[in-house]
Amino acid sequence: MTVAVTTLTSAPSLARVFATSALTAYGKKGSVLPDRTLRLEGVRVDRDHLVAYQRLCAFGVGDVLPHTYPHILGFPLQASVMSARDFPLALPGMVHLANAITVHRRLTADDALDITVSARDLRPHLKGRVVDLVTEVDVAGERVWESRSTYLSRGGSNPDAAQEAAAPDLPPGDPVAVLRIPEDIGRRYAAVSGDVNPIHLHPLTAKAMGFPRAIAHGMWTGARTIAAVSNAAGDPSTSQIRFRKPVFLPSTVEITRAASGDSVVAGMRSRKNPETEHLVLTLA
Amino acid sequence: MATTPRRAAILGGNRIPFARQNGAYAKASNQDLLTATLDGLAARFGLAGTHLDEVVAGAVLKHSRDFNLTRESVLGSALSPTTPAYDIQQACGTGLEAAILVTNKIALGQVDSGIAGGVDSSSDAPIALNEDFRQTLLAANRAKTTGQKAKALTRFRPQQLLPSIPQNTEPRTGLSMGEHMAITAATWGITREAQDELAAASHQNLAAAYDRGFMDDLLTPYLGLTRDANLRADSTVEKLAKLKPVFGRGEGATMTAGNSTPLTDGASAVLLSSEEWASEHGLPPLAYFVDGQTAAVDYVSGEEGLLMAPAYAVPRLLARQGLSLQDFDYYEIHEAFAATVLVTLKAWEDAEFCKSRLGLDAPLGSIDRSKLNVNGSSLAAGHPFAATGGRIVASLAKMLHEKGTGSRGLISICAAGGQGVVAILEGA
Amino acid sequence: MASDFYGDFVRTGLGKKVVSSVGLPSPVRLRRYSPTAPLIEGTVLVAGHGDAPLAAHIASMLKSLHLEVVDEAPVSGSLSAVIADLSTIEHPEDLESLRAIVAPTLKSLRSNARVVIIGRPPEAATSPAQRAALRALEGITRSIGKELRRGGTANLVLVAEGDDTNVDATVRYLLSGRSAYVSGQVIVVGEGSPVEPGDWARPLAGKVAVVTGAARGIGAAIAEVLARDGATVVAVDIPAAGDALAKVANAIGGTALQLDVTAPDAGQRIVDHANTRHGGLDIAVHNAGITRDKLLANTDETRWRSVLDVNLMSILRMNEAILGPGGLRDGGHLVLVASIAGIAGNRGQSNYAASKAGVVGLTQALGSDPELRRRGITVNAVAPGFIETEMTAKIPLGTREVGRRLNSLQQGGLPVDVAETIAWFSQDANAGVSGNVVRVCGQSLLGA
Repeated sequence: MTVAVTTLTSAPSLARVFATSALTAYGKKGSVLPDRTLRLEGVRVDRDHLVAYQRLCAFGVGDVLPHTYPHILGFPLQASVMSARDFPLALPGMVHLANAITVHRRLTADDALDITVSARDLRPHLKGRVVDLVTEVDVAGERVWESRSTYLSRGGSNPDAAQEAAAPDLPPGDPVAVLRIPEDIGRRYAAVSGDVNPIHLHPLTAKAMGFPRAIAHGMWTGARTIAAVSNAAGDPSTSQIRFRKPVFLPSTVEITRAASGDSVVAGMRSRKNPETEHLVLTLA
Repeated sequence: MATTPRRAAILGGNRIPFARQNGAYAKASNQDLLTATLDGLAARFGLAGTHLDEVVAGAVLKHSRDFNLTRESVLGSALSPTTPAYDIQQACGTGLEAAILVTNKIALGQVDSGIAGGVDSSSDAPIALNEDFRQTLLAANRAKTTGQKAKALTRFRPQQLLPSIPQNTEPRTGLSMGEHMAITAATWGITREAQDELAAASHQNLAAAYDRGFMDDLLTPYLGLTRDANLRADSTVEKLAKLKPVFGRGEGATMTAGNSTPLTDGASAVLLSSEEWASEHGLPPLAYFVDGQTAAVDYVSGEEGLLMAPAYAVPRLLARQGLSLQDFDYYEIHEAFAATVLVTLKAWEDAEFCKSRLGLDAPLGSIDRSKLNVNGSSLAAGHPFAATGGRIVASLAKMLHEKGTGSRGLISICAAGGQGVVAILEGA
Repeated sequence: MASDFYGDFVRTGLGKKVVSSVGLPSPVRLRRYSPTAPLIEGTVLVAGHGDAPLAAHIASMLKSLHLEVVDEAPVSGSLSAVIADLSTIEHPEDLESLRAIVAPTLKSLRSNARVVIIGRPPEAATSPAQRAALRALEGITRSIGKELRRGGTANLVLVAEGDDTNVDATVRYLLSGRSAYVSGQVIVVGEGSPVEPGDWARPLAGKVAVVTGAARGIGAAIAEVLARDGATVVAVDIPAAGDALAKVANAIGGTALQLDVTAPDAGQRIVDHANTRHGGLDIAVHNAGITRDKLLANTDETRWRSVLDVNLMSILRMNEAILGPGGLRDGGHLVLVASIAGIAGNRGQSNYAASKAGVVGLTQALGSDPELRRRGITVNAVAPGFIETEMTAKIPLGTREVGRRLNSLQQGGLPVDVAETIAWFSQDANAGVSGNVVRVCGQSLLGA
């Protein structure tokens, strides 16, 4: 086998990963993804952490892991992969374009999770380059959960780049829910997820990164949208989240929804300027 | 139109294990606890996606954001979203009062099926704004101009930031429930030994109920808790005797943390229906809800003990049903404190009390103590205020079903504000 | 346990190049069952030796399903399945017919292809030569299973004389994605009175099924697949299983029954629940099981007893009620879950292997029980392979990766694969199959 698998004994410290990534961000080059898979075995769910996540994203508090929860367990591995010296793209400033999750079976707080993360499919994009970070979760050898997170590294333009698969339009019409997103949601989600990217924390740190105000974590807006449109968010299901414009904090947003059969399409848009679309979600 | 009252059947119940305050459910809200309880009930009775005619529940410690607590819990549960719901609150009597309301509607033909329940979290209790601060903010809110707002806010003082944490005290007397009970216990001469004996029996009975699988279809584990956290299977009179009194003074100080219920988090729910609905859904009734009664006493003047109202409610119920106190196979007397149960029983045996207070010619008499709280009660299980009624109704219904058709059980629950809620069930 | 790095790696473009140049096995994604998809796509060759009575029967059955059926391999184009009827062979010389039918097709089979050989039970042979020939079919089938690539499976169906029409449900199962991870198996079809479902997309409609150990893992998958096939499911697990069991029951519109299968009254409580709530019981799946691994030298009485009690003795006790009066209805189905460890044995699992081998014995005994046969009750078992069971989680990564490849399909199976076979055992159309132990193991080399 030519794939190098590194099995870690504990989750990497995200604070350290982000600090390292800032130092190694410059001079990133190359067009080859290192053959590296990071793996963390026997991850146990901390119930307090799970409850904090469930409350923050408005999932019901219970033993079943919400659809998006394993993502934050795998996120330290993602950040580690992307901050490695030989990783061709710089982690700071990376934009989360899309996320696709499949829950193969219902997971509970008692399951011991084996989490594997690898980078795949580095490819040109109209505004730079994109890469997929694939997170896979197994329990006792059974693939129970998987996710593909697509990130964009801005820079250069590739007008000839292959089009990414088209996202559905946001469902039009009246909102089914209005969410008032508080200014501190970025800090609160950072505390739970460990994703302390400065663009989420404070207007000043966001300004330093070129944003007028702090922006909500994409995976929080995605999870919150799933919670808004589904009661059974831990059941076997597949979601696709395409992120559009960031949610500047604080914000009031609207959720729109359209269902066909077992499949739901939901959108998050600005309440003040409904033409500002934040994300579109399909959940089946 | 139904003109003759129909019998209301108890089909079964569900609760989550009761947790100690700041224990396993420390970070869960009332809505989370009640939703999980409804989901467990739905799973036990195959009600996923099923429309019920109503769900009635409530909480004693309730956030203002939870104004529609029960309906929100229904919406988060597996029940059909077309199931209506409303909240009630009658302190510790909430759960049993909810069952009275639903069964009355069933009897009248207004509903065919429903759930009665209750939930309380002492961990996730609402913390109110300091009253001064609240008044300041309300004044600022009423102000029409910015100037007026600013002026209203100048009344703010830093000490107003001190939050107001809800107290387990009676608003009119400033005494805690335990202090009230200690006075009543001393008046009636209830001994420490008798209280500890009752407490030990409660733990031993509940532990035995778990061990023989009695709880298997009454409970759904939640957040890693599989049994009531307060339960001490190895509790004995000797161990309890070592605890220091926490309520009362001097000689009369007999009430300890061991013979008083601790603050607890939990939820319960009971499935109720008409006999027709039960048979259409293939759900055999465990028991029937025969009748319920409430009473209240004047404890503010010191005329009567705070938790004595059930002693008044029961004789009225017995008279209406033409029964004597001895006509029951099981007695479920809520153990707010061991002393509460003992005082109530003593009062019913007391000729003077029965004559002067209850207006009876003869005392109600004593009960066979081997029929009392045979599967444990609140001292062992804990007492999440509004959840206790549902716990007792479901458990007693199952006991009566096992005992056989026509067996009878009496429920007695005391509540804050000098109130009592009591009921009679009959085995199906 | 490890994720399938190797499997994912070889599915990428770069991976494929490396693999084909060094000759490592290249696993494909297995075709799995969907009620809305066709039974199988593409052309099915049905041929046989002599007058091949079963071939004629099967061909007409498949044609009625609008499948493309041919009786000769096409000169060009590929086949998705080959069904060879050898039921009339009398002498090893006749095996040439099998070679002649199957050999030319093997190179042009599509991925996830099916080879189904039909024979008669060797015990019923009328001469030593015929018995030798019939017994040879098993060896051939297993070898074809090992020769096939890209998700192809080969299985042998032995049909008792006079029960030819009972084979339909088995042929459907073997052609469909339900048998994705089943290869090298021998299925015996005997007497019975199959009842075709009104709707093949919901073959268990109107049936009541109970599944023990249903809160998670394979048990939850079984409950979900039986419900998908139309059954009303009673999901059973220990009281401590928590709200996971409630979630399973609510998600499939079933009921949750919390009980410990080792309780003396467990069987009666299951039967009472099914009768009072759902009006009867048609399908019972004994799935609950535990492991307490230690070398036999270090196994104390507690570890020994607890595993045997949960995995085997509880089944015997529960069956008294489930198979007794008022229990499983006539024409019902009992399914047990054995394990490859019970067939091959496993170091450090003597207690577990004992219990699971016992399950195999129990299945054989009940499957041929005259009273149960008279009542039309079938009793069968699945034996999940190496990858499926929790026991593999504790095996070191390297050994695990080797173990995963030690089967003809060169990959691990999924809980749903076990569940699909159980759902097939539970069909009334399958009344002719009883006393069978089918391994869902991708034709593992262990215990083969």
